[in-house]
Order: sequence, then structure tokens, then C-alpha cells
Amino acid sequence: MDQKEKRLIKKVKKGDQQAFAELVDRYKNSVFAICFRMVGNTQEAEDLSQEAFIRAYNHIDQYDHERKFSTWLFRIATNLSIDFLRRRKTSVSLDAVVPGTEGLSLNTILPDNGELPDEQMVRRENEEMVQSEIKKLPEKYRSAVVLKYIEDLSLKEISDIMDIPVGTVKTRIHRGREMLRKNMTAGGGGQA
Amino acid sequence: MSCASKKYLSLMNKVLDQEATEQEERILYEHLANCVECRAHFDELKYSTDLLCRLAHPQLPAGFTKSVLAQLPPEKRHAIRRWGSRHPVLAAMAICAVPMSLVIVGARRQTMQSRDKNGYVLVKVSGDQT
Repeated sequence: MDQKEKRLIKKVKKGDQQAFAELVDRYKNSVFAICFRMVGNTQEAEDLSQEAFIRAYNHIDQYDHERKFSTWLFRIATNLSIDFLRRRKTSVSLDAVVPGTEGLSLNTILPDNGELPDEQMVRRENEEMVQSEIKKLPEKYRSAVVLKYIEDLSLKEISDIMDIPVGTVKTRIHRGREMLRKNMTAGGGGQA
Repeated sequence: MSCASKKYLSLMNKVLDQEATEQEERILYEHLANCVECRAHFDELKYSTDLLCRLAHPQLPAGFTKSVLAQLPPEKRHAIRRWGSRHPVLAAMAICAVPMSLVIVGARRQTMQSRDKNGYVLVKVSGDQT
């Protein structure tokens, strides 16, 4: 963790909200990506991300500065997402959405990089397919896979975030990967 | 997978986790060159994780930071100190203002007193500063 971040956190511990805003700017995209890939809906992901930051602020005294701030923050975000999924499970009929369409509007997902319309179409279809496959994974595999492949974190960091041994992280990633393989290649049009 | 798959499956996982030694990698790739089934399995694993890696980061709605800040409990402590660290010049001026004003007041008093000793009339002192 860099010195600037340490200074920011010190200020936040004293109640400085401007310093906290800088931390939010640093990590908002990662936190949002984690929540979005976990729950698959932009609105809910935004709410969860906000809640994650608010919790981080309110419980900043519990943050141990010997560890990475991002690890602590991603842990809050992951746990909130998992709690949310569990709560939603009990009321799934109310929240049912048309599969593959949730939150995937053009302007939220696609980077504006001058792609041709049909390239965009293919990309969007791919995105939707992948997102719906992620959604099929059981939560504990899903969080491990998201942290590994969306946030590109090391197994050690994932183990710190999820508070489970590295060996367990590996098992979850292996199983998640195997499930994705089965579903994506059997149902999803096979190899590109 | 029908061949001695367990062994190769765990090798595949090691390679994908980037935890395989060079030797393990060589063993796997040599096997893949000869085993269609394992080759397909490995390609499929790579294909699906590649798709995952290529997902774009979703774009966060504008004003996110602002709305987080709006939901925080009000700032309480050290507000003055923080104002000071954000506006160092003003803070320095504010701090200097205290001794400066003392000096000025003190200086003026001294002049008043000396005038007193010199025999100026008191009424004149109170209406001083002309």
C-alpha cells in the first residue's frame, strides 16, 4: 500500500470525509465491478457498492493498517453481495428478471471505443452469455471466480478477502472453472 | 475424460493457476499433444476463463462518490484543524493575527502611557488617533 493511501486512511480515521472521497474514487470501479458480477444488476450493484463504502467509513477503526486496504474493502463488498444473494433467494419470484437482460444496457457495459455495430452486438451477446453463466455458479464459487478473473487478484489476496485457506480458494476456483467450462461449451455455442 | 485424467486435470489446474513448475508444464503439454480428449478439455477451460477476463468493467453511474458522501454521518471532530490544513495561508494569517493584534494594542498602550508621563491631558488621549 502506498504512502499516500496510508495518509488518507489516517485522515479518515480522524473523520475527514474529503480524504474518504479520494479513497472512494480510487476503488469505486473495482468495488462496483465485484458487486455487479456477483449480483448481475447495475442498480443493485450500485446500492451495494455505496453500502460497502459507507460501512467502510463507519467501521474504519476496525481496519488493521498492517493489511491492504483493498483487501478489507473488497471483503466488505463481497460479503454484502453474498448476503444480498441469500436474501434474494428467499424472495426470488419478486425479483425475477428476464435472463440476460438485467442491467446490461449498452451505455453501462460497452466501452465507447469506436467498434462497429455488429462487433458491438457480438461483444454484447458474449457479455450477456458470460454474465448469465457467472450467475449460475453457487455463491462461494462465484465470489472466488469473480475476484480471480474480474479483479485479477492473487490466490493469497482472495484467501484474505474471503477469510478461507488458499487451498480452499483453489478448490473453489477449480470447481467454478469446471462448471463454467461445462456450461459455456455445451450450451453456449462451443469454441470461438 | 477417460485417460489417467485425475493427474492431468490437476496439472491443468496448476498451469491455469500459474503455479506449475516448468517440468510440470512440459509434462502436461507433452500429454496434450497426444491426447485429444485432454486437449479439448484444456482448451475449453482456457476458452471460458478467457471470456471472463475479457469482460469490460461496467461503468459506474456519474455522481457515485458524491452520493456516498451524502450518506455519511456528519463530520464532527477536528473540522477546524482540517480547514487549516486545506487553507494553509489563511490559517497562518489567522494564527499570526493573534500576537499581531496584541503587539498593536500593546504598542498603542505604551504610547498612551508615555504621553501620560509627558503630561498630556487624559481627555486628549481618549480621543487619540487623529
